[in-house]
Amino acid sequence: MLAAVLLFVFLACVFGISFYFNSKTPVPEGCEKLSEDCKGCSMHGCPNRIKGEEENA
Amino acid sequence: MKLISMIFMAILTNNIVLTKFLGICPFMGVSKSSKSAVGMGLAVTFVIFAASVITYAIQYLVLVPFHIEYMQLISFILIIASFVQLVEMIVKKYSPALYKSLGVYLPLITTNCAVLYVAQDNIAKGYTFLETCVNSLAVPLGFMLVLFLFSCIRERLDYADTLPSWKGNPVGLVVAALMALAFSGLAGII
Repeated sequence: MLAAVLLFVFLACVFGISFYFNSKTPVPEGCEKLSEDCKGCSMHGCPNRIKGEEENA
Repeated sequence: MKLISMIFMAILTNNIVLTKFLGICPFMGVSKSSKSAVGMGLAVTFVIFAASVITYAIQYLVLVPFHIEYMQLISFILIIASFVQLVEMIVKKYSPALYKSLGVYLPLITTNCAVLYVAQDNIAKGYTFLETCVNSLAVPLGFMLVLFLFSCIRERLDYADTLPSWKGNPVGLVVAALMALAFSGLAGII
């Protein structure tokens, strides 16, 4: 039980740290509005599309 | 010989999209153009291969020795999500051109059920490390093949004389069903 809890906490921390550093990593030039340019699909629930629509609005 | 048959089975007869019906979301969503289909296929290939190797190691180095196999699902999900974050970070920093073409697809791969399926399937079937690597490479190649084929068909369908109510996803689903029928005909060959 303790091993399971420790493993879960460890992996959650790894995910949190990777997410934090990813959000802090600067986006390359020319890629700032990738989500807006994304026309790969018509999935309106896609977070990239929602982000792009928010930016447009 | 076993590895070669495993490759052909993963790509053709046991294709993850057309026979197991996994990864349907990107299959239907990211197949409007062949360029985006190839991009998504490459990103999925890379993530599935690397995530499968990492989850294989976690399973046999952590979960089994400590008798916490019930943590497999949650730990695999967290590993896949962390890995996708890491990949996105590395691609942002070291390959801006690659990020421009694939970057928008990377977060979507986290929720692709095919990634989790391959990771768990390697464990369930008791594959060795080499077999895991081969399977984890062959399955996403099959995914990419089908995605590319479907995107090419859909690009042609855009110019076809389709009924207005059938345009887009409805006729796409019919095409997908026909492709699944075609691929099911390959069963038994290998």
